Amino acid sequence: MTALSTHLIEEIKALPAKYPQPRSAVMPALDLAQEEIGHLTPEAMSEVAVALQLDPGYVEGVATFYTLFHLEPVGKHRFYVCTNLSCTLRGAERIVEHLKTAIGVKEAGEISKDGLFSYEEVECLGACEYAPMCRLDHRYQFDLTVEKVDALIAERRVSPASALVPTPLPSPSPKPKPTRAPRKRTLKKGG
Amino acid sequence: MAEQRGTVGGPVLTEWFGTPDLHSLDVYESLGGYSALRKVVTEMTAVQVIDEVKASGLRGRGGADFPTATKWSFVPKDHPGPKYIVVNADESEPGSAKDRYLLENSPHSLIEGAAIATFAIGGHTAWVYIRGEYDVPYEMLRDAIAEAHAKGHLGDHPFGSDYALDVRLYRGHGAYICGEETALLESLEGKRAQPRSRPPFPAIKGAWGMPTAVNNVETLSTVPWILRHGGPAYAKRGTEKAKGTRIVTVSGDVQKPGNYEIEIGVTYRHIIEELAGGALPGRKIKVFWPGGSSAKVLPESMLDTSTDLDGLKALGTMGGSGGIIVMDDSHCVVKAAARLLRFYAHESCGKCTPCRVGSNWAVRTYERILANEGSEIELALLDRVQQGLQGGRCLCGLGDAAGWVIQSTMAHFRNEYEEHCLHQTCSVEKALVHA
Repeated sequence: MTALSTHLIEEIKALPAKYPQPRSAVMPALDLAQEEIGHLTPEAMSEVAVALQLDPGYVEGVATFYTLFHLEPVGKHRFYVCTNLSCTLRGAERIVEHLKTAIGVKEAGEISKDGLFSYEEVECLGACEYAPMCRLDHRYQFDLTVEKVDALIAERRVSPASALVPTPLPSPSPKPKPTRAPRKRTLKKGG
Repeated sequence: MAEQRGTVGGPVLTEWFGTPDLHSLDVYESLGGYSALRKVVTEMTAVQVIDEVKASGLRGRGGADFPTATKWSFVPKDHPGPKYIVVNADESEPGSAKDRYLLENSPHSLIEGAAIATFAIGGHTAWVYIRGEYDVPYEMLRDAIAEAHAKGHLGDHPFGSDYALDVRLYRGHGAYICGEETALLESLEGKRAQPRSRPPFPAIKGAWGMPTAVNNVETLSTVPWILRHGGPAYAKRGTEKAKGTRIVTVSGDVQKPGNYEIEIGVTYRHIIEELAGGALPGRKIKVFWPGGSSAKVLPESMLDTSTDLDGLKALGTMGGSGGIIVMDDSHCVVKAAARLLRFYAHESCGKCTPCRVGSNWAVRTYERILANEGSEIELALLDRVQQGLQGGRCLCGLGDAAGWVIQSTMAHFRNEYEEHCLHQTCSVEKALVHA
């Protein structure tokens, strides 16, 4: 049993010929793998590496560098909410707070109980004239308001497409957040 | 698609914007599109193309402001192997959306410009590196390239000539650093996007080890107009040294955020108050970033500053990628700077130490300040960190930009920093509570 379908592996093997040097195929290949199984598991990355005749560690190194590659399961519909300055000035923080409540998650990356939704805060998406905005299902959503967020969620809850999802992705047990111990201050405050 | 917010029917880049279905080849061609490429491949030599662009005075619109014709002429003419034009469509400078605006309106302008540039450097393929989040622009470019191939404008015999030309697409996957040209090339080669040390410069050893010129979307989209109307017609616009027009994105606390085509040399007051409608009702503009978050901030009192690129350089800031972020008196400068530092720390590629360590130090310092744990120590620390980030200590400009945010906000708004650090208070927020 492999992580990726035989058909997909064949497709990945055909990628290197499209580029001046075969290594350029690594990102398009990871893209295909992620599209097929939702996120990049270690097995999937190894299979991509074998198909492209690259070192598995190398492939993982590339995957971990770029934010659009997901190494953990994601909701079927992921909100990429811009919280960079232009969107924050127009109320992105409020949008994120509302979104968390509306899909019932406590933090970025967590998947809603029905497996449909997750969100992450992202850096500028280059649509600043429509702030606050987000990317959802490969499309930009502009001029976000609390009502608009509710509507986006509701549409996806009732859409027949979501009923076709074979199995909702398992909700990962909440991962302990890496916390940095507060640094002891050795210098006196206010000097 | 959502309603377009910005200039339509402008002088150069947005000349045809507003025409229904401009993104389709037929409409684009009916207005005169592809006539420049036709002329180039059937009547002109590479040297003539470069001379025409030189006469226009066009400079790179990605932020570096480097003369485009000069960049092309650096690519060796006698190189035996492939040479490439790489299009930087990885627009991700906070506050900048103009490349997206151009691509969504007129993808053929970029394709035509990229093909002309490829001809000018003696190459045959242009690679467009487009950020992964730009789904719609990617799909539009993909379809437009297919149309151009089907019509015979690209391929082995564009317009019946024997000069093969192709435009290819490569999608990024979310990394601000890819806007830096050597990091972009690394990414295009299937690697982690970490900037290269130079020399060798991309013109000698660029994509896949071959001579390469990396150009921004807006720069190349301007090229067909220049070839249609002649370099001197373009050079008539703008200021004596900074020629032509450019697109600025205005965002933040203004009434009409949007992408506006401006003649270089108009003032920020004109852009912010007239084109973008000025401050929101009942608010006052406090500060603006004149060229993306990486440009040093200017206070409201400097709204009359000209967009002339050399003038901005003289002020120590820059026109950058044209993203103008406007902030009014309801927002705290320290918080805004803290948010931007989080951005730079997140996007630091980790290759060189001052940027990797310095940006994270700054973030932790800002966190303490905003948690009301600040003191003189934090003020001094921020100052030390910003110095350490700047001055060519990093491989690329990301570290400098992070330093400039700290330095310029502290220089103009020292009072807000002192309130937070020394008195654990924020007059901006207090004013809002009592309003």
